[in-house]
Order: sequence, then structure tokens, then C-alpha cells
Amino acid sequence: MAGRSKTIIAAEALARQGQVGAAVHACYDALALGDQGAHVHALLASMMLEGDFYDEAIAEATSAIEADPDCSPAYLALGMAYDRRGGMWDQSVLVWHELAEVVPDLVTAHVQLGEAFAAAAYSEEAVESWRRALELDPREARATYNLAIASLKREGMALALPLFRQAGELDPSQDELFFALLGLTDAPIITVDPARVKPTREARLGAAGLALKADDLFSAAELVRAVLDEQPDDSEALALAAYAYLKQEAANEAMACALRAVSLKPDLAIALYCLGVVYARRTGLKRHAARVFIALAKKAPAHALVHVLLAESLLALQRYEQAGKAYRTAVRLDPACVRARFGLAATYLTEGRHAEASWEIRRAAYYDTKRQRLFWRLYDEYTAGGEES
Amino acid sequence: MAADAAAQLYQAFVDQDPAEAIQVVERMRASGVAQDALFDVLYAPAMGLLGGSWASGAIDEITFTQAAVVAEQVGSFVMPPAATRDTGVTIVLGTIHRDQHSIGRTIVAATLKEAGYRVNDLGIDVRPADFVERVGETGARIVIVFAETMRAARSVASIRDMFVAEGVTGVVLLVSGGPFAADGGLAREVGANGVVTGAEPAIRIVSRVARDLAGGGAED
Repeated sequence: MAGRSKTIIAAEALARQGQVGAAVHACYDALALGDQGAHVHALLASMMLEGDFYDEAIAEATSAIEADPDCSPAYLALGMAYDRRGGMWDQSVLVWHELAEVVPDLVTAHVQLGEAFAAAAYSEEAVESWRRALELDPREARATYNLAIASLKREGMALALPLFRQAGELDPSQDELFFALLGLTDAPIITVDPARVKPTREARLGAAGLALKADDLFSAAELVRAVLDEQPDDSEALALAAYAYLKQEAANEAMACALRAVSLKPDLAIALYCLGVVYARRTGLKRHAARVFIALAKKAPAHALVHVLLAESLLALQRYEQAGKAYRTAVRLDPACVRARFGLAATYLTEGRHAEASWEIRRAAYYDTKRQRLFWRLYDEYTAGGEES
Repeated sequence: MAADAAAQLYQAFVDQDPAEAIQVVERMRASGVAQDALFDVLYAPAMGLLGGSWASGAIDEITFTQAAVVAEQVGSFVMPPAATRDTGVTIVLGTIHRDQHSIGRTIVAATLKEAGYRVNDLGIDVRPADFVERVGETGARIVIVFAETMRAARSVASIRDMFVAEGVTGVVLLVSGGPFAADGGLAREVGANGVVTGAEPAIRIVSRVARDLAGGGAED
């Protein structure tokens, strides 16, 4: 593989900054100067995809692969273009298969391969691909969402729902919701030393929240205990304790703390969140979970995941139409919410709206790969590999 | 009285006495509290007391954890029933002959089962005679036929014809699938009584039909 020209390096920089138009111009300049390497075509494919020019993306990605059959980012762009264009499932299956061979440990390639198989109605092969993805990474949420959808198609909602919940718990967005409710969305992950925290309620609770965000449950517990020793009826401290217990899978302790917190302050969002999550894990408490998440959705309506949790509790009650509404609210608030997209797909399937369900799954794939910045990861690895050789 | 019982249940948790905890639950049940109310009336307040005691330091961490274990053991006695009660209504459903589509049928069948209906799912590619035969075997009075192609949808008419030919009356024939959703008049053409447009609507329509049948108000 030849080295990259200065023009293409400039195009990369522009593309990374989101200056798509300028980056496309730079790529065409590179082509005009005779650069026919895989990089320029792969970059163009990615940017064409960004602008929803699927045929152009397919042409550029194909040129990149012709220039270098090991150009992994081009396979990614090509597969995404086929998937998003629709109706090209056979080609899509081949491309994802190729990518899985070029980068065997790339989990997303197996997830995408499964989705392409599913769209082409090869259900068994699809499930095999998702299982392979989970072998590579047991915490792959999207593979689990897809298995939930497959289970819904084969066995119905009652058996699919636990898989949706399992996927949801793998999804980092659920923890992010708790910290968003706590007002710590942008807080950095730092080490907290309880001994150095100012001995006030606010400082201790703030530090406990940061410790929880850093997964330091011991420091959080110490700080919460200090607050409760001074004021046992502090609902916020109790809610933080409930979350810490939830993280330790101690559901009854979490329930006890959350119930106490809610009895003291019925509209405390973080307490409602913990209580709802505990209730949702028990099949007998599905109505209770729905009630709690309705209260949470009223209290914190701007958070997409609140509506997702509500929707999942409604699915358990067979209120598929209301669940669909809640999922649509979540998607409106956060179009990149993969969990909401898969849930919405599930509700569409209960109404026989298969095309819309497939569309939501494709959008989930788009946002998920975008969130991972997968193209750039593969591009950088490909570039580094080329420069090493 | 409920507050006293919750306090007793809480004490049984703290004393790590599951037998006493179960007795508290049973006494509450004997006093007339329904199973689906026990959690709210008894268990949740007791758990709230437990959380409060831990917060105030009245019980230590170890006692809290051990009490939570007892609470877990008692949990199944107070949980609202997870399964819906059997409605006693039998439904025969399947995808019509020469149609292999199964997703919609599977989801509707599972939803109806979960809602307490006795579902006889005949699967895909089911001949009209098999629907009629199964209705005869089970005594079902509700049949849901799924069809996703136009040709298959039109062939549903033969099921109604066979019911008539066999002298089977009082069976409500419902249909589901894309062709019926797209063409509002098709269901009537094939002799169906209604269209099921999804899993939740299936519960609604079946419940209404079952009520009508029980009241003797159904018509062919």
C-alpha cells in the first residue's frame, strides 16, 4: 500500500472535523492529482454515506476495495450503504462476511452480518452471527437487542422481554440516565477520597455521586453513611444507597432504601429510577414498575431513556400501543437511542408493520456504528497497518 | 391493622425468622387481603421500615443484609400473580394453506396465551379442513386465520364455506394479515367477522367477541 498524499491527509482532517463539503473537495483534488488509492475512495464512501448518497457510497467503497481488498473501512462503508439503501441484502451479507474475515475480532461486523441475514430472512444464520458477536464480547448490547427481536418473532413478547432488559442493562445509557438525573452528566470520572470531602451534606452527596460514577461503591457508601448518620431521613442519600445496592445486585436492599426514599419524597427522580428498576426485574411487579416509571416520566420528561423504561414496563403489560408512543417520544428526544429504536421495532412487529420495524433496526445500526466512531477506528487501524508494512 | 402487620413483618425480617414472616403474611391473607394487594399493603411498607432502620443505624449492615435474605424468601408469598387468570376461552388460530408467514401469528398467539386464552396454534400452511376439524375437537368458537399474500387471503373463504357445509354455527372467524389491512372489504368478502390488526388489538377484539359469545350475542 502506497503512503497517503498530503491532499488526502488534509481531507481526513477536514472530514474528522465534520467539514464534509471541504473534505469531499479535497478528495476530488486528490483524485485529480492521480491518487487512486484505497484511502481516498474509502473516505469519499464514508462522506457520501453521511450525506445519504448510497449509490455513490457503494461506487466509492467498491473502488477502494478494488484498490486494496484489505481496506476494512471501505467494507464498513459498503455494508452500511447496502443496508441503508435497502433491498440489497445478498450483497450486504457478502460484504459483512468479508469484513468479518478481514477483521475477525470486529464484533460489529458479526452484528451487522446477523442483521443482513435477518433482513434476507435467514433467521438461523442471523442468530448464529449474533451469538458469535456475543462470544467475542458478551457485553455487546446490539447483538442482544437483535436476539430479543428474533425471540419476539419466534416465541412472542413474554420471552423476548427479558432479553430486551438484559440488553438494556448492558447498554451504558441506563447508568448514564441515573447520573443525568443526578445532574452529573458532564462530571468527569475521578477518584474520590472520602477523608478529603468537606463535612457538609451537599459536599458528601456530591462526592458520593462522583464516586458512584467512578464505580467506587465503597467510597460512595462511606459518604452516604456519613450523611445518614446526621440525617437518617435524607431521601437523596437513601436513593444513592439504593443505586449502590442495585450495582451490587442486592435488589432487596435497593428496594428497601428506594421505598424509604420515595416515602419521604415521592417525586425524587433518582429514587423513582431505582425503585422502577428493581420492580421491573420481578415479573409479578410489572404493574408497579409501570406506575413508578409513569411518575418518573412526569418528573423527568426530557430524558429519552425514562420513556424507554416506561415503554418496556408497558410491553410487559401487553400495552404495545402505549409502549410504541413512549418509544416514539424517546426517539424524538434522542434519535440515536439504540434501545428505543429496537423497542420501537418490537412494537411495530406486534402490529405487523415489518418494514417500519426493519427501518428502525437499520437506524439503530447507523447510530450505533456512528457512536462508536467505527469508520475512523477502522480507518486509523488500516492506515497504521499500511504505514507499518 | 395493616400498619401493625407491616411492623410485624419488618420485625420478622430483622429477627431473621422466615417462619414468622410467612405467618404474618398468612394472617393478613386470612383477614381478607387479596393476593394482588399483599405486596402494597404489607410487604412494601415493611421494606420501607427496613430501609428506614438501616438509614438510622438501628440495624447494622449485616442485619440489613440478612433481613433482605429473609425478605427474598418471603417475596414469593406476597407477589401479585404473574400469570393472568385462565379465561376459559379457546381460540384456534393458524396461517392459511400455501402461506408460510409465521411472525405475526406467533406474536398474536403468544400475546393471547399470556392474556389467559387457551390458544390452539396450528402453525403455518394449514388446510381449511384442519381449522374445521380442530374447532370440532376443542369446541372453540373463535378462529383467527392469518394470511400475508392476496391469494392466501382469498382462500380463507373456503373455511367459512366448510363451516357452513359441516353445519358448524356460532363460530366467529377473524382474519389477520397485510391483505386484510390494505383492503377493508376483503374480510367481509371471505366471510370473516372481523380483522385483527395486531397483538394488542387481538386481545381487545377477542375479549369483546368472548363477551358477546358468553352473552349469546354472536352472529356468523
